[in-house]
Amino acid sequence: MYFYLPVALTSINVLVPLGLGLAVGLLSGLFGVGGGFLMTPLLIMFGIPSTVAAATDSNQIVAASTSGTYAHWRVGNVDFKMGLYLLAGGFVGGLFGVQGIKVLKAMGNADFVIKMTYVLMLGIVGTYMFIESISSMRKNKTREVKEERESATGRFLRSLPLQTHFEKSGVTHSALVPIIFGCLVGILAAVMGVGGGFLMVPVMVYILRMPMHVVVGTSLFQILFNCIEVTFLQAYTNHTVDFMLAVLLLIGSTVGAQIGAIFGRKIEGEQLKVILAVIVLAVTVKIIFELTLTPSLLLGQSGGH
Amino acid sequence: MLLQALGKTLPTVGKGFLITACAALIFLMNGTASAALTITANHDHIKIDFFYHGSTVSVRGVSAPGTDLIIKIAAPGGHYALRKRGKVAGLLWMNVGELKFEHVPQLYSLHSTKKISEILSGEERDKYLIGYESLGKQTEIQPVANEADKTKWFGEFVKFKEASKLYAESEGDISLSLKAGELNYYVLSPWPYQAAPGEYIVTAYAVKDKKVIETAETKVLVEQVGLVKSFASMAKNSAALYGVISIVAALVAGFGVGLIFRSGGGAH
Repeated sequence: MYFYLPVALTSINVLVPLGLGLAVGLLSGLFGVGGGFLMTPLLIMFGIPSTVAAATDSNQIVAASTSGTYAHWRVGNVDFKMGLYLLAGGFVGGLFGVQGIKVLKAMGNADFVIKMTYVLMLGIVGTYMFIESISSMRKNKTREVKEERESATGRFLRSLPLQTHFEKSGVTHSALVPIIFGCLVGILAAVMGVGGGFLMVPVMVYILRMPMHVVVGTSLFQILFNCIEVTFLQAYTNHTVDFMLAVLLLIGSTVGAQIGAIFGRKIEGEQLKVILAVIVLAVTVKIIFELTLTPSLLLGQSGGH
Repeated sequence: MLLQALGKTLPTVGKGFLITACAALIFLMNGTASAALTITANHDHIKIDFFYHGSTVSVRGVSAPGTDLIIKIAAPGGHYALRKRGKVAGLLWMNVGELKFEHVPQLYSLHSTKKISEILSGEERDKYLIGYESLGKQTEIQPVANEADKTKWFGEFVKFKEASKLYAESEGDISLSLKAGELNYYVLSPWPYQAAPGEYIVTAYAVKDKKVIETAETKVLVEQVGLVKSFASMAKNSAALYGVISIVAALVAGFGVGLIFRSGGGAH
């Protein structure tokens, strides 16, 4: 059965967005990522214009992250206090990032910088997560090294002002830390055109030292608000949100997020990190292939990045 | 016989003029089709509803025997801005700029009884915009370095449009039959769902001796209807409300599904 999408101006087999929504929603519930870095290119592959794909995906992520946040909140895995600090930083960072893109576009370097940012950030994050998670899984020897690192990091963090205890995560940090790192992630997210989950998760795990399962729920909470803002701006400014497509996607993604949250509780934190690292590295390899192989078409639709 | 009848009834001066005019008219009629070219499409109105997945348009009519036919389905000329891909540092493929295309139709579909270059001269093709080559000549592309660059990028534009199923050229798919001294033609053309709402012109060209001897046209209106039209209109004209509705629907769906699912474990 095919549905016609009134804003995308195309027709799609209803099983495609339902299936894509389910798969990406699963990732949201499991890892605390929005999944935009997967969903948007997949929608484009199925004939959705790139601007509509990116904007409508933000709408879908609102639903999936609401579902995932709710599922994680029910089992006590959302640190709202930490999430709000990260959100504040992310909001400011997003504003800087958008301005940065405008400057880059005026200079004519936007696409090069964006693509290189994708490859570097995904590659660094994925590689670091993979190596660190594998070595952490060899528990006995690595536990001592990890404690030494925590002391050094802990000393530095404890020296900063505005120390705040985050009860749900069981960590104490300066309020400046989540705000500053949230801001950095916001800048990168605006440049890369993503929600920032796959950047925020490593920040929360490795810098804020939050337990992985609290990271997932808190990340979804932060992504939820980020995508509410993006959805509204895309609908209001660019008229590119396709509500019909969003409904088809979110039917699958809200269910997928719940299933992901359930599966996530059955998988250990280190295993979750390894799987996410593999996915991030696979996306990096895909982008590198796209950059180096000759495309079949030398012209593409304008808009988005 | 007509001339003789006129000669008996009219004064001499007027008679001479009228005879000359009639002779000229008869001569012209013999040089063109003896039967008028007609065209009818099975749809003059394609309605886009929620289950729309394209359509087919059949075009039929009559023409003079011994003529070849070309059927062109096209939207009026429009403009496009597309990103162009190129190599950066000789290694990486990425978007390297934008190209603007003017006077290009959104949809362009061509059917003919034979290969167009065999039945129609280049001049006639350019005059009636028949074929990609002629379309390319009247298209403006900015910025391009020279004519060769323009030809290259127009070729890429056609590839892009063909990949989107919006441009197509085919030959030999118009069926012909002779009945009662008239040539009946028929062609079935797929109508892609990617074609945006708007008015499209279906034109038939009767071709003889490498020239177009007659044309006929009809129109097809493609229009969104019902809820599809309402959503598209709201997205454009009531954007803030549309955005809020989209967000609220997503929040409600997320919470709703969350309420349906039961928690299966404790905190980690």
